[in-house]
Amino acid sequence: MGIERREFLKTLAVASGSLAGVSSLKASNKTELNPDRFGVLSDLTYCIGCRKCEWACNEANELPNQSLDSFSDTSVFENMRRPTSEKYTVVNSFANKGLDGGALNVKVQCMHCEHPPCVSACIVSALRKHPDGPVTYNASACIGCRYCIIACPFQIPTYEYEKALTPQVRKCTLCLERTIENGQLPACVEICPTEAIVFGRRKDLLELAHERIRKHPDKYIDHVYGEYEVGGTSWMYLSNQPFNEIGFPELDDKSPAELTESIQHGIFKGFSGPIMLFGLLGIIMKVMKKEEENE
Amino acid sequence: MKKLYLLLAAFLFSTTLINGQLVEPNHPKDYTMGNPQMNDYCRTCHICENPTKFNPCLEQCARHGAQFSSTHSFEAGPDIVIIDKLSKLYKPVIFSHELHASMSEMSGGCTLCHHYSEDSGEIPACDKCHKIKPDLVDLNKPSLKGSYHRQCLGCHREWSHENACQFCHEEIGSSDEVVSTYDKTDIVGVPHPLISAEEKYIYQTTYQKAPVVTFHHTDHVDLFGLKCTDCHKGDNCARCHDTAKQEEPKIESMTTCCSCHNENNCDFCHSNQEKPSFNHGVSTGFTLGHYHEDVDCNNCHRSVSNFVTPSTNCTDCHIHWDVGTFDHSIVGLTLNEYHEEEDCEWCHIDRDFRVEPTCDECHDDMSYPEDLPGIRE
Repeated sequence: MGIERREFLKTLAVASGSLAGVSSLKASNKTELNPDRFGVLSDLTYCIGCRKCEWACNEANELPNQSLDSFSDTSVFENMRRPTSEKYTVVNSFANKGLDGGALNVKVQCMHCEHPPCVSACIVSALRKHPDGPVTYNASACIGCRYCIIACPFQIPTYEYEKALTPQVRKCTLCLERTIENGQLPACVEICPTEAIVFGRRKDLLELAHERIRKHPDKYIDHVYGEYEVGGTSWMYLSNQPFNEIGFPELDDKSPAELTESIQHGIFKGFSGPIMLFGLLGIIMKVMKKEEENE
Repeated sequence: MKKLYLLLAAFLFSTTLINGQLVEPNHPKDYTMGNPQMNDYCRTCHICENPTKFNPCLEQCARHGAQFSSTHSFEAGPDIVIIDKLSKLYKPVIFSHELHASMSEMSGGCTLCHHYSEDSGEIPACDKCHKIKPDLVDLNKPSLKGSYHRQCLGCHREWSHENACQFCHEEIGSSDEVVSTYDKTDIVGVPHPLISAEEKYIYQTTYQKAPVVTFHHTDHVDLFGLKCTDCHKGDNCARCHDTAKQEEPKIESMTTCCSCHNENNCDFCHSNQEKPSFNHGVSTGFTLGHYHEDVDCNNCHRSVSNFVTPSTNCTDCHIHWDVGTFDHSIVGLTLNEYHEEEDCEWCHIDRDFRVEPTCDECHDDMSYPEDLPGIRE
């Protein structure tokens, strides 16, 4: 019998103390969000799939663009598309899923999560959550590790692989310059002919979304996508079809960042990691020493 | 005594409730207190689940449906409307108001678009409520751009299955010289073209005992004087204009027929073979002469919803006909000078003109029709 009872209790106390420290610690570097932060509600039942939002987004962000007329081409709907480094937003179309049996169109872009995993994964804080909603990107801080691309549950950030010297991570900016800095609407929201996408305060949009569901329970499914998904997102969706059937991932109500952050930040909170490590080493040394003496 | 008053007050209050007196007289739709189920329609204006007169919990609501005067017709509106308040990327829309108004006759009428009227009955311009600049407070109310597009695309998308912006407006400065789908000079003063229909339609129904229903469309329109909208009331444009559908539009439901016909009288419509078109003589035993056949059904059958068989005795309707006021020659027999001053009853016993006249009252040796009181023409 190597370990005495007293020693065993000591070990247990140190170990449980450090474990309790980990679980009770919360992420500390989370952005304090403005209660009046912005968001966008996308009501898929109004979207006509005209793709004018794609054109306006390209214009506003100085991305390569074609003529307005060329966006009437619906042949792009034949394949599911994802945003690219030259397209911050794309519209996908799901045949026979619409209200009158027609197509249901889904605009895809950065969801601007409330607790973004990309921000959490970014080791140099190039990606940040703005208190008013957008997830912003600072190219001069970015080291190109692309952890954000892996972390995103919606597979949104893209990378300029074609640029050898100045590659950047690219994604929707929620038109930060237009909206929060100049009081305009995001380019896509401004051009939308049916106002299927509405820009406003996130809390107002949630109210509006639930109001629409309450008024037309036969039209909408009772789910506002983005209200709780990954801890909430700034872009939210209303639909007449279950979201998992129209390309939306089924996600937990907790942000994936919450678990990793609570472990990682917890370990180093109050120098608890090193203390625990050296404490454990000390105990082992003491035990070994006693065993040696006993022999 | 106090208790009595209280009881009386409670009784009066409950009867008011039961009679639905708590509902405003100009409430948009009949609302019975016995059936307080909130439906979508109620929810367009009432926010809470149990609205009362004292707490109607109304939200700012303009979806009451506009009140157009009963004599309002689509010709009264403008012929074309040029929508140019928004043109930024696209040229103004030349909207054929009259054409659309006449189309809407079959699909909800003017209120399909003009969904709100002032208390005075005046229909406000769209931009009175739907502002050009989006309302950041009332997020549910679309701005002018959103309102126009939702209104137009609601139907246009249904039948064309595409979102060609150029169908309604051309792009400004387009190098491709995109031409609007229709010729603008062609839509002025053009109502919806007359819809042609077959004379009759023969339906094979699922009623096994007598599956064949012959619907004489022409009879219903020309003979019974039904307006198109009497049956085609909830139609949407796509029923006729759906480019993806090839078949003829049909009214599937029996309810349309049964809004006039008694639904318990199956054999009236259903048969094992094709039925002939309506013949008043065959169907009712009262053959219409050349005076009656031009008369509107309603002149004799006062209630269309309840087709009561009227009396067939002439003077029940023609109450002023008597000696001196009735020109007997219209029945094809001009009375001679001996008979033209006589009372009707001398020949028509009890003034029943349906039975054969008799000569017995005066002449023992004469009888009708061998002997005549005048000249047959």
